[in-house]
Amino acid sequence: ITAAQWVVKDITSTFRRNLHIDGIGLITCPAARYNRSPIVLVENKLGVESWCVRFLLPYVHNKLLSTRKQWLNRDEPTDITCTLLLLSPDFTTAWNVRKELILSGTLNPIKDLHLGKLVLTKFPKSPETWIHRRWVLQQLIQETSLPSFVTKGNLGTIPTERTLWLIQEEMKVCGEAAGRYPSNYNAWSHRIWVLQHVAKLDVKILLDELSSTQHWASLLVSDHSGFHCRQFLLKSLISQTVIDSSVLEQNPLRSKPALLLPKDEEAAASTEEPRINLPHLLEEAEFSTDLPWGTLSDLHLIPAGPQLSQAMNKQGHSQETNAGSGPSSRLLGLGVERRCTDQVLPTSRDAGPASQ
Amino acid sequence: MKLYSLSVLYKGDPKVVLLKAAYDVSSFSFFQRSSVQEFMTFTSQLIVERSAKGTRSSVKEQEYLCHVYVRNDSLAGVAIADNEYPSRVAFTLLEKVLDEFSNQVDKMDWPVGSPATIRYTALDGHLSRYQNPREADPISKVQAELDETKIILHNTMESLLERGEKLDDLVSKSEVLGTQSKAFYKTARKQNSCCAIM
Repeated sequence: ITAAQWVVKDITSTFRRNLHIDGIGLITCPAARYNRSPIVLVENKLGVESWCVRFLLPYVHNKLLSTRKQWLNRDEPTDITCTLLLLSPDFTTAWNVRKELILSGTLNPIKDLHLGKLVLTKFPKSPETWIHRRWVLQQLIQETSLPSFVTKGNLGTIPTERTLWLIQEEMKVCGEAAGRYPSNYNAWSHRIWVLQHVAKLDVKILLDELSSTQHWASLLVSDHSGFHCRQFLLKSLISQTVIDSSVLEQNPLRSKPALLLPKDEEAAASTEEPRINLPHLLEEAEFSTDLPWGTLSDLHLIPAGPQLSQAMNKQGHSQETNAGSGPSSRLLGLGVERRCTDQVLPTSRDAGPASQ
Repeated sequence: MKLYSLSVLYKGDPKVVLLKAAYDVSSFSFFQRSSVQEFMTFTSQLIVERSAKGTRSSVKEQEYLCHVYVRNDSLAGVAIADNEYPSRVAFTLLEKVLDEFSNQVDKMDWPVGSPATIRYTALDGHLSRYQNPREADPISKVQAELDETKIILHNTMESLLERGEKLDDLVSKSEVLGTQSKAFYKTARKQNSCCAIM
């Protein structure tokens, strides 16, 4: 048994014995010490000492390509691809071998997702990892024996628990990857994909996303990709509420949503389908005031019309005479006049006194 | 925006003494954390060494900004942050920390102190609270006297060095950096963080 084979065995058995491993990393270690294994486990993090990479990587690479169709046993391709991807995650062939293993029933797709998650702790951008991940998720939601959405009375279709769990996991993985690399486009666009194809733009999930990413977005002010995701959330929510705007006009109570307290909103939401309304939009306007790429200024499809300008008038802004034109410029105007710079950037309070 | 470290040092002659430090390296890859921490100590000491008494400066290095305030009485503070973190808040924090430190720790202990002997425990709390500048400083406590034009801005670490001095040499001679950190530095310099494996 060669040294490389030994290391692959070591990695495999370490994973088998420690189910709580939640991260991987490379340890800069130019020379081997005392004939010890290069695999180190510290606080649930698996480390590979760098001295072994120069013989380990060529070994697994060649092994994968040469024995592609004639594996010695069922576990061999899984173990080889696992080691390979921990070192070189953008080697597409390795991910494709794992696709074959999933389709043949040898590899559990959830286990595969777990490997991807580990890989992303070290390579948060890795394009091939994200692409493969979407393939696996696609497989999971297309399983006809396990539906991902069910109909529930008059609430339409809602996601199953399993689907919710998958979505939650993906949100976590995306969030962590976004934190590991500035403006991680791959992570954020994966997040959007999951919301579209796994969550199927479910309104409640989108609203949860909007609020759960707010704190995060306020601290990572230059993460363009993060704000692009928020734009997507708002657009999806708004387009799903266009249908409800006629209801807004008819119902007198509803025509003053700006006065609704957050608690009332929640009460309303629990009895009916949750929806985005003016307080959300105004909140977002407030939130993105100081940012040149404010999410709302790019959205040209605010359908609010008379309701929005009424709400703005209540806030003491200039009278809008033409309700139909340029919602985006009106919102920009709203932004400029708005106080609340202290909600985004403390230093930007340089410009004049803050008016409450 | 992130605050990675907060340290209090004494600008002795000729050596700079580290008195107390707090770090947040949670955003770094697990196995790199101890090296990153050592580098932040190394950097903080170097900056204080090369800054004159009674000055405030910000030193840029890649996507990090090191804010330093050296008081006239040789007590110094360094805050290492990312480039989103508002520098005004960083300087307010440094002023506050040094004030508090000088009230709690006797002046006599500064030239000979070390993190093990100095009794000042508030640093970790400050670092943690100031991760979110809005929560830590809700009403602007920025000093009116803090004139931003007086803050010296260095675009690289190299600009702090003397003619002919090389950062590589300072790294290899450093007593603060362990062998693994020095090896990590060499590898990082060579590959410039783009290589898929390393």
